[in-house]
Amino acid sequence: MAEPLISLRDVSRVYRRGADDVHALEHVSLTIESGLFVALMGPSGSGKSTLLNLLSGIDRPSGGDVVVAGKRLNDLSEDELAHWRSRHIGLIFQFYNLIPVLSALENVELPLLLTSFDRRERLQRARTALDVVGLGARARHVPSELSGGEQQRVAIARAIVTDPDLIIADEPTGDLDAKNADQILRMLLELSHELQKTVVMVTHDPRASEWVDLVFHLEKGILKDTFAGAAGKDHVEPRGPAAGTPA
Amino acid sequence: MKYLPLVFRNLLRNKLRSLLTGGAIGLAMLLVCFFLTMPGGIDRLLSEISSNVRVSVHNKGGVVYDMPYAYVQRVRSIPGVAAVNGEVWFGGAFEEEAMVTFPSFALDPDAVQAMWPDYKIEPIALEKFRRQRDAAIVGRETMKKYGWRIGQQVSLVSTVWPVTLTFRIVGEIPNDRAPHFWIQREYLAQAMQAQDRDLDTVGTIWVRVDDPAMVPSVMARAVEMFRNSPAEVTAETEKSFFASFFGSLQAFVQIILVVTALVALCVLCIAANTASMAVRERSREIAVLRAIGFSRGVIFGTLVAESMVLATVAGGTGALLTYGFSALIRMLAGGSMGSNELGPLTGFLVTPGIVAQGIGLSIVVGLVAGIAPAWGAARRPVAEILREVF
Repeated sequence: MAEPLISLRDVSRVYRRGADDVHALEHVSLTIESGLFVALMGPSGSGKSTLLNLLSGIDRPSGGDVVVAGKRLNDLSEDELAHWRSRHIGLIFQFYNLIPVLSALENVELPLLLTSFDRRERLQRARTALDVVGLGARARHVPSELSGGEQQRVAIARAIVTDPDLIIADEPTGDLDAKNADQILRMLLELSHELQKTVVMVTHDPRASEWVDLVFHLEKGILKDTFAGAAGKDHVEPRGPAAGTPA
Repeated sequence: MKYLPLVFRNLLRNKLRSLLTGGAIGLAMLLVCFFLTMPGGIDRLLSEISSNVRVSVHNKGGVVYDMPYAYVQRVRSIPGVAAVNGEVWFGGAFEEEAMVTFPSFALDPDAVQAMWPDYKIEPIALEKFRRQRDAAIVGRETMKKYGWRIGQQVSLVSTVWPVTLTFRIVGEIPNDRAPHFWIQREYLAQAMQAQDRDLDTVGTIWVRVDDPAMVPSVMARAVEMFRNSPAEVTAETEKSFFASFFGSLQAFVQIILVVTALVALCVLCIAANTASMAVRERSREIAVLRAIGFSRGVIFGTLVAESMVLATVAGGTGALLTYGFSALIRMLAGGSMGSNELGPLTGFLVTPGIVAQGIGLSIVVGLVAGIAPAWGAARRPVAEILREVF
């Protein structure tokens, strides 16, 4: 059996807040195979975003091991993590977070600035990514000239333009109406199923389970449940709560 | 280079703020460069009009005290001396102004070329200066100031001697910063004799030494020659002489330099404040860039580059505008060197060196102003920033 793309073993994350320790994640263990569309769900403060930050190498665990795309992230420095993210991770945020002074095309080009591609190659790849999300005709528009749904599609194009192994989406539909939210979820599903990208998404949207292969449910920093989504592929074998319970 | 478009777009994000900050930096650099022209005026003047092989021998009590005219011949006998010319302060006041507005001296016309070959006075002018008793050679600066021309007659009232003499200008010293008005010593002597008075003194004895290595020994011999005489002398090189002459301006120059430094510090604070605001306002974007893989070095570099580009463009523009500004001030002042108490400080001559200093200072201001906020934004862990801004 092939190595899972993501493997968390007994991962904890503790923050200091004043004199107190805040246990954002406690002894979480899980694995995610390549090409799955996965949702992290749970109430506010359950540790979803913390888990997302750990998977994407934005944060480091207080304990346990985080291995993504064959790399153990615990040991990497800030700059090593940044370099690793630029190669392996595509990020999508709730509020799109495009650079307002750059056009859609330039926003999508941003992650490619960190590569060795020349300008012509960068722009060609950025245009292709915009075409993938159906915004090729809006390439010259700045974010303020785009709707919320369009901005999020630009953000998706920015996330996929480097052809990352893993796409991380933090409540990508949280700021969209139902119609645009469905478009975004469909797009993420297509990225996963047609382009074989692994997509991990934090969401509060209960309908998300209809779109994903697998759902991890967290509460108070603990992985409470794992179950298959409605879009689950045949090979997906949901792991029960035991996989995420404290070791 | 590939990050430059991002730098420029960010600079143009808040156009009014960039314009105002740039305006402040540009204005400050204009002032800095303008102030720097003032102390620079003394240095340039000394370089232009003085030489290290010319020595001034004058009364130990000060240049305002005379020496016997016989000293000139005795100094000429010192080994190593190539030429000697004794000059007397005429103190001529142009009738229209009734005050001394340029330095006028009576001297030996036969020893002018030997003493000041670097002044490059036309041979024909020197010849006329030798032949015509009422001839005068005038520095170009004074010629320009009064609109005089060669061949013109000018009357000067001496503020030292009881005479009013009329001169015919026969040539000029071809240097824009030469204010001199030279007349024949013999002309003044005859005018004094007409009043039954002898002109038997000299104010300064100028000496040109053949070999620069012999200058110290010539000066020592001159001092030694008149030791214990009624009029003891001191000797110094021409550069040193003029530097002492302008010594009273040095304190003012120091004040100018302090003010210049304060202006630079002030603009540094303005630029740093702008850079800090720009970083604060863009915390979210910086967090996103960090999250998608921009390293701390790239973030730091682009933020510092923003500050440096703004400061360099604005400061460079201000520095270049000093050319026009100083010309305007010169025009408004209606004169130049020697036109008032500040003498050579008011030349306001902008040199490429001064502009280069202004541009260099602008780059430093941009660099220093950008470092602190850029470092603050770059060094914080990305997870910490994301928690704050999302």
